[in-house]
Amino acid sequence: MPGHEFLIKPADVVYVYDGSFPGFLCCVHESVYASELPFDIFPDTDDAPLSLMDVKYIETDDDKARRVHASIPAKISKRAAELTRTVFLSCMKQKELRLLEFLLRAYREGGAMLNNFGDAIISPLLKAEKHLLGEAHLLKGFVRFADVGGGLVATITPKNYILPFISGHFTSRFRDEDFMIFDKTNRAALVHQRNPQRIGDSLEWVHGKGEIIRIDSIEFPEVSEQEAKYQSLWKRFYDTVAIEGRENPRCRMTHMPRRYWENMLEVKDSL
Amino acid sequence: MDLMEKLTILTNGAKYDAACTSSGSDRQGNTLPAGCCHSFSADGRCISLLKILMTNHCVYDCKYCVNRSSNDCERATFTPAELAELTIEFYRRNYIEGLFLSSGVLKNPDYTMEQMIRVIEILRYEHNFWGYIHAKTIPGASPENVRRLGFLADRLSINIELPSEQSLNLLAPGKDKQAILSPMKQIRIEGEQNTRELAVYRHAPKFAPAGQATQMIIGASPESDYQIIRLASAMYGKYELKRVFYSAYIPAMEHSLLPAIDSKPPLLREHRLYQADWLMRQYGFDAEEILSPEMPNFNPYMDPKCNWAINNMHLFPCDVNAASLEELLRVPGIGPTGAKRIVSARKNGKLGMAELKRIGVVLKRAQYFILTTDTPAGSRMSRDLAARALIDPKIYAFGMEQMSLFDDIQGLPGAQDVASIPDAVEEAVLCLATNF
Repeated sequence: MPGHEFLIKPADVVYVYDGSFPGFLCCVHESVYASELPFDIFPDTDDAPLSLMDVKYIETDDDKARRVHASIPAKISKRAAELTRTVFLSCMKQKELRLLEFLLRAYREGGAMLNNFGDAIISPLLKAEKHLLGEAHLLKGFVRFADVGGGLVATITPKNYILPFISGHFTSRFRDEDFMIFDKTNRAALVHQRNPQRIGDSLEWVHGKGEIIRIDSIEFPEVSEQEAKYQSLWKRFYDTVAIEGRENPRCRMTHMPRRYWENMLEVKDSL
Repeated sequence: MDLMEKLTILTNGAKYDAACTSSGSDRQGNTLPAGCCHSFSADGRCISLLKILMTNHCVYDCKYCVNRSSNDCERATFTPAELAELTIEFYRRNYIEGLFLSSGVLKNPDYTMEQMIRVIEILRYEHNFWGYIHAKTIPGASPENVRRLGFLADRLSINIELPSEQSLNLLAPGKDKQAILSPMKQIRIEGEQNTRELAVYRHAPKFAPAGQATQMIIGASPESDYQIIRLASAMYGKYELKRVFYSAYIPAMEHSLLPAIDSKPPLLREHRLYQADWLMRQYGFDAEEILSPEMPNFNPYMDPKCNWAINNMHLFPCDVNAASLEELLRVPGIGPTGAKRIVSARKNGKLGMAELKRIGVVLKRAQYFILTTDTPAGSRMSRDLAARALIDPKIYAFGMEQMSLFDDIQGLPGAQDVASIPDAVEEAVLCLATNF
C-alpha cells in the first residue's frame, strides 16, 4: 500500500496533548492521517510556551492510541516500541517531536533502521535512553531509606521519570518491607505494601506488588532515636573509609553528581 | 567499647583494601549481576559493600600493614551478632549492597575463619540475608574452613600481597607463598567441581558464584610493571581469577626496607596497571604486547593502549568498514561498546566520521588510526601528530610522582611546575620523540 507517509509535509501548526503516553500516540495518529509534520508538540501544562502558530488540541482517544501502539511492534519492531516508551519518559528536549520524526521514518524503513547507531535521528534517541537507564541504575544505589516506624521512606529528585525502571528492583529486593520512594521532580511515588494473609491460625505478611501513584507532596515523620543511630553510624563509616592522601573530589563528582547529594545523608551536609 | 568506636577502628583497618565490587552474582532480587555502587567516598572510590574487619588484632607482623602486631594502635573486635546486625540494618536502608568481610588473625587462622563463618551464618540463616558477601580467606586456614566459607559467600579472595616471593619473605615474614597459593588453587578446583554439580543438580549449593579475586601492593617492593602484569596474567590463567586489584602503597611506617614515609603513593602507576589489566581482560591483549623486558615500565605520558598503537603504527590505518571486531578493539578511542556498534551499524551502510562521532568513538584519538568513507585519499598520518593527541592530560592531575621508587625514571612535572597544559604537552612530545 503506498502509504500517505510519503506525503507528510512540515506544517505551521503545533500539537497540544494531555501529556500522557496514549495522548502522544494520538498525536502520531493525527500526524499520519493529516499528512503533516507539526512544528512542535507540547503537553498541555500551565507553563506551555505561547505560540504564534495554529494550535491543534489533540484529544486522547483510547481506540486510536491502541491502534498506534499495536502498529509499532507490528510494522517496525519490538525494540522500536521499547525505545519509544523509554524515550517518552526521559527528560529529552522536544522528545515528542523527535519520537514522531523517528516513527514516521521507521514506518517506511522498518526495524533495521534501529541498528544504524550513527544515524542523526536514532543517535539522539539512544542517548536519551542511555541517560535515563543510566540514571535509573545510579538511583538503585543512591536511594536512602529512613525507617520511620511502620515502613521505609525515601525521596529522590531525578531528571528522568525513572520510577517504572527501578520498581522491579526495589520490590523484589525489599519484598518483606513496606516502603515508599517519593519522586519529587515528577510528583509520583512508588509504594510497596505487604499483604496480610491468614495462614492457618496465624497472620502472615506476604509480599505484595509495587504500585506507582500520583502524589504532589508528602511530609515524612521525624526520625526516631534508633534511626538516628544508624544514620550516624553510616555517616561515620562513610567518612572513615576514604583514604587520606588520596582525596579526589573531581572523581567523586564524576561518579556521584552533585545533584543527587541533597537526598543522600552522608554527603548532604557537604553541599 | 561502643559500636561507633568499633566501627571506626575496624573500618580504618580495612580501608586500604582495594576491592569493593559487588558484581558477578545473579540472585534475582538480591544481587545485581553488574554490581551496584551505593556511594563514592572522598577519594573517589566506589562504596558498594560494608568493607570492614572482624578484628584488627593480628598475630602477624607484616611490615606494610597498618594492623601489624608491632603497631601501637587501638584494637577492637566485633561479636558475630553485632556485625551481622550492623550489616542487615545498613542493607535495608539501601546504604550498601552487602558485606566485605576481612580480618586480622586472632589466635590462629582457623579460629579467625570460624568467627567469620559465624557472622555469615547469622546473616544468611537468621536474618535471611541473601545480598552480596565477599569474604577474605585467611592464609593458612584449613581446606575444610575454606570450603565452608565458599558455600556461604559470593566471592572469596586471598591477597597475594606482594608481586614476588622475595618481597613476601622480606616484608611479610609470617606468610609464605604456599599458604597463599594453595587455597587459591583449592577455590579454583572446588569452583569447577561445583559447576559440574550444578549442571546435574540445578539446586546444588553454589560455591563462591562470583569467583575469586586477589590484590597486591604496588610500590612497596622493587618489581617492574612488566613483572607485575605478567604475574597478573598468569594468575588469570592458572587460578581463573575474576579480578586482580592493585593497591598503591601508602607509607604507614618508617622502615629500612620500605619507601620513605613522606613518599607519595604511586597513584599514576596504579592507574596504568588497571588500564593494562583492562586491556588483558576486555580487549584481548597479552601481557607481552603491553610491556616487554626491554620496556619494563609504563609510559607515564600515555595509556598502555595508545602506547601500543604508537609503537605499532605499521598495523594502521584500520578500515572501520571492513576490520574485524578484534582489530577495531585495538584502535585508540574505540572501546568494546563502540566496536560492537560499528560492526552492527555498518551493515546498513558505510560509515563516515560523522556517524562514528554519533556512535560514540573518541575521534580525537581514533582519527589518526582509522580509514573511513570520507578520509581524504592519500592522506598520511604523522606519528608526531598522533602522539601529541594521545598524551594523557590527566597525568598532571596526579602531581609530582615517581613511577617507580627503585630506578631512575624521571619524575613527572606536577601541575605547579608547568605554565599551562599546552606547554606541558609540548614538553611531553619532545620527551617522547627521543624515546621512539
